[in-house]
Amino acid sequence: MLKNSVLRFLGQKYSRKSRALPFFVVSGLALGGLLSGCATAPPKSDAEGYQAYVQQNDPIEPTNRVFFNINDKIDRYALKPVAQGYVDITTPGIREHVGDFTDNIAEPGRLIYFMFGGKPRDAGTSLVRFLVNSTIGIGGIFDPATSLGYPQTDTDFGLTLAEWGVPAGPYLYLPVFGPSGARDVLYLPAAYFLTPVEAAPASTALSVFSYSETGLRLVNTRAAFIDPIDQIEATALDPYATFRSLYRQQRASQLQLIDQRDTPTVPDWYPQPAQK
Amino acid sequence: MILRRFILGAAAGLPMLAAASLAQAQVAPDTAKTFIQQSGQQLVSIVNSGASTAQKADQLRQLVDQIVAVDQVGDYVLGRYKNVVTPDQHTQFLALFHQLLAYNITFQIKAYQGITFAVNGSSVMGNDTIVDTTITRPGQAPSDVGWAVDEVNGSPKIVDVIVAGTSLRITTRNDYASVVTSNGGQISALLTAMQSQIDRHKAGN
Repeated sequence: MLKNSVLRFLGQKYSRKSRALPFFVVSGLALGGLLSGCATAPPKSDAEGYQAYVQQNDPIEPTNRVFFNINDKIDRYALKPVAQGYVDITTPGIREHVGDFTDNIAEPGRLIYFMFGGKPRDAGTSLVRFLVNSTIGIGGIFDPATSLGYPQTDTDFGLTLAEWGVPAGPYLYLPVFGPSGARDVLYLPAAYFLTPVEAAPASTALSVFSYSETGLRLVNTRAAFIDPIDQIEATALDPYATFRSLYRQQRASQLQLIDQRDTPTVPDWYPQPAQK
Repeated sequence: MILRRFILGAAAGLPMLAAASLAQAQVAPDTAKTFIQQSGQQLVSIVNSGASTAQKADQLRQLVDQIVAVDQVGDYVLGRYKNVVTPDQHTQFLALFHQLLAYNITFQIKAYQGITFAVNGSSVMGNDTIVDTTITRPGQAPSDVGWAVDEVNGSPKIVDVIVAGTSLRITTRNDYASVVTSNGGQISALLTAMQSQIDRHKAGN
């Protein structure tokens, strides 16, 4: 989960100049990984084993595990210590508002993803959330929209593609960014463009804001994950497989939630079709 | 916020990480709700009591044995390997599974301090009855946690913990299956890994 969130935050929030490089680096490393390490499928005579292998859909598992270990080191020696320091100097309330602020900046992107995904009700909710939280919520520091009955529904371009019927594809574990998949990884280039920062005229101040917001979002999110990740790493026999399972279940759950919340309603004044 | 709630909820549900079993018999929603309400109150009173960590751990182990279908959970987690495991390995697996569950709970006690627990509602989903709860810990956002309840040997038992649509029994099954497949399908490797983790817990305490 941490790695997934890191993926999202970095992918969505790199400034114009800084975003391209990590994306190409990641693409290069991922391609290199694809070519270098593949899992060995069990023989088809082992029907259950072969079926499990297909369901697991992690054909480059050895390479994914290499990146998992690299990310673990980055997290252990860089991200986590910074996040712990951040927790020491902030209150839960501050961290909550920081999360609300960074979430609000990503709301226009969600609006567009929902529109492309054919989810008008979810798109409307995103629009209302952005307008309410940016004004009454003082630039998104507060989240009055949730109290008004407009809770956040998370999405990204990977889920939009899923709505179009694109299958998840093989599991990918990306350097720095974490859990992803052949379909979900495509949200990186989409996130490059779908941010309000991208729409504003380029300036030094904007770049500084973008860097600061990216860093703050990253640290704030890692801070929320300190206990859960410690617990998973202490209790799971194979943390890589545990994170993979959680990632896939969470993606399925997100899709389900998007569909649930997009339930169309018919106003009372609208003529009802005649009963046969 | 969704992701935050998910991960915090996952943390709240981790003591029951391995809670699962094959469906036994369906429990009426109201019965399941009352069962979870009572179990939750017992859990909260133990965790928030002034007892020592060791005393709390003992009390929690007893409570878990009462309210969680641990053996059935273990069999679910074993999954398809239940068909290939020898009787001795199966016995050993369940014994290790009980121990691991106990150690995992002990590991979580500090994180649970100050917990509050509210039951929201219950509904039938497939073979299970799901009871929705909200768990609040000091300094953390509230977490929505679902508890799957089945009737086992005539009484309701917890068989799974669901956080934002994520089943902890499935997660654990995938975790354990990965250990077996990474070691050429050898169940003995899983038993060794479980024993190693228990040893690490012991060394850390």
